[in-house]
Amino acid sequence: MITLQTEFKKIKRKKIGLTMCALIGIQFAWLLWSGSHPDENERLDGWISMLYNLPLVSVIMMPTIMSVLASRLADVEHKGNTYKLLNTLRRPGTLYHAKVLCGILFILAISIAQFIFIIALGYARGYAGHPEWNYYATAFVLNFACCLSLYLLQLLLSMVFFNQMIPLVAGLGGSMLGLILMYVKMYSFLPWGGFLSAAQVSMDWNPATKVIHFYYREHSPVELCAIAAIFVWIVVFYAAGRILFTRKEV
Amino acid sequence: MHTSYIRAVRAESLKLKRSPVWLAFFALPLISAFFGTMNYKMNIGVLKSEWYSLWSQHSLFLCYLFMPALIGTYCSYLWRLEHTRHNWNSFLTAPLPISSLYLGKLTQAVRVTILGNLWIFLLFYVCGKLAGIQSPFPKEVPEWFLCGTLGAVVVCCVQLLLSLMIRSFAIPIGIALAGGILGLYMTNHDYGMNYPYSIYCLGMRANNPSMEISISTLLVNSLGYIIVFAALSIFYLRKHEIAAN
Repeated sequence: MITLQTEFKKIKRKKIGLTMCALIGIQFAWLLWSGSHPDENERLDGWISMLYNLPLVSVIMMPTIMSVLASRLADVEHKGNTYKLLNTLRRPGTLYHAKVLCGILFILAISIAQFIFIIALGYARGYAGHPEWNYYATAFVLNFACCLSLYLLQLLLSMVFFNQMIPLVAGLGGSMLGLILMYVKMYSFLPWGGFLSAAQVSMDWNPATKVIHFYYREHSPVELCAIAAIFVWIVVFYAAGRILFTRKEV
Repeated sequence: MHTSYIRAVRAESLKLKRSPVWLAFFALPLISAFFGTMNYKMNIGVLKSEWYSLWSQHSLFLCYLFMPALIGTYCSYLWRLEHTRHNWNSFLTAPLPISSLYLGKLTQAVRVTILGNLWIFLLFYVCGKLAGIQSPFPKEVPEWFLCGTLGAVVVCCVQLLLSLMIRSFAIPIGIALAGGILGLYMTNHDYGMNYPYSIYCLGMRANNPSMEISISTLLVNSLGYIIVFAALSIFYLRKHEIAAN
């Protein structure tokens, strides 16, 4: 607890919260822009389409946003050259846990803000009916898990490399890969494609009528394995990060 | 000025020696070209304009979303060398004019951007040949390259200013990504020429090779932005007490 408090003291005035707000704000602006003038049919499909759009925006932006968050939290130690000092006061594992926990709190806040935004946007646009809460709750949990897996990967890279260009480029590469995977299949076993596997909604587009039909996905066994892979990545990245961090030469 | 500029460029080259920062400019266009070509081959029934269709697949995401962020990463790295430890002291007390020191950084950023753009077009040519395109290579490519490079220099100037003012490595990159995404909106609403992050995409004719743009507007706007942002950076370096931050 003390280490976690220290973690928040270290990032005081670093404006990490503000940075996250700005980046998530762009995501909100994107969602606001897409479908800004819904017709009657779009209002009928509104709530379900939100659950389709959010993962698509997240798959592009979240790898980079998570790399920024992880880099900001880890760079404090690199710049201050504080590893040696901190590791004499606390066990390296404790410091790693504090960083993970600090990031989790940020991710939780981001995920809550995302879902509050899309629900508020849906009501503001006058979508028919109400959100299907069970699907929204599942989407929230899976969205959080995807962000967490990416954050743990980025934290690992940001801690290991002094040169923060490497983790940031990995984040950008992840965003690009996620975007490209979107064109291949609606699921992926790669950590950057987790948002696609986790999407609760899919769609059919009729080229003749140009009408989009959204529907809740019936996940096949392979797709369920891809969802399970998100949690496997969390465990793998957490364990790898902890091992690398505790054995890091300071 | 001339000699001091060359000395500043040489000093920056030395600082970047053996640094693998150029790898990012190599890897990301490669991913984009690979999947762009794959998508082109899979949708060859719909994408019938051969080189032009392939270019739209290669350039769309790379130019709009990732190239500004990639340039931002490189610019952040250039200033990070000074933001780390007490390097500002030696940088600002170097026996060279501040403008030369800044131009040394800008030259490095522009150099890697030009190489990155050349790599993008080389991949375009190779992928087109591998995809079996028989028609002649588009004669507009040199124009796309020159206009795109000018737009990229604008992004370099903006990002150099941001990375100079913001000590964090990551935040300017986040801004560049956000700027690129906002560029999609600006271009869609015909404000692209007035928005620094969109000029690059318009110059490269990303996603729309048949797009007609006013070269004179692109030239004037780009040079205007380059002068303004470079002047702001030099002014900041002269007036702001960076080392004491």
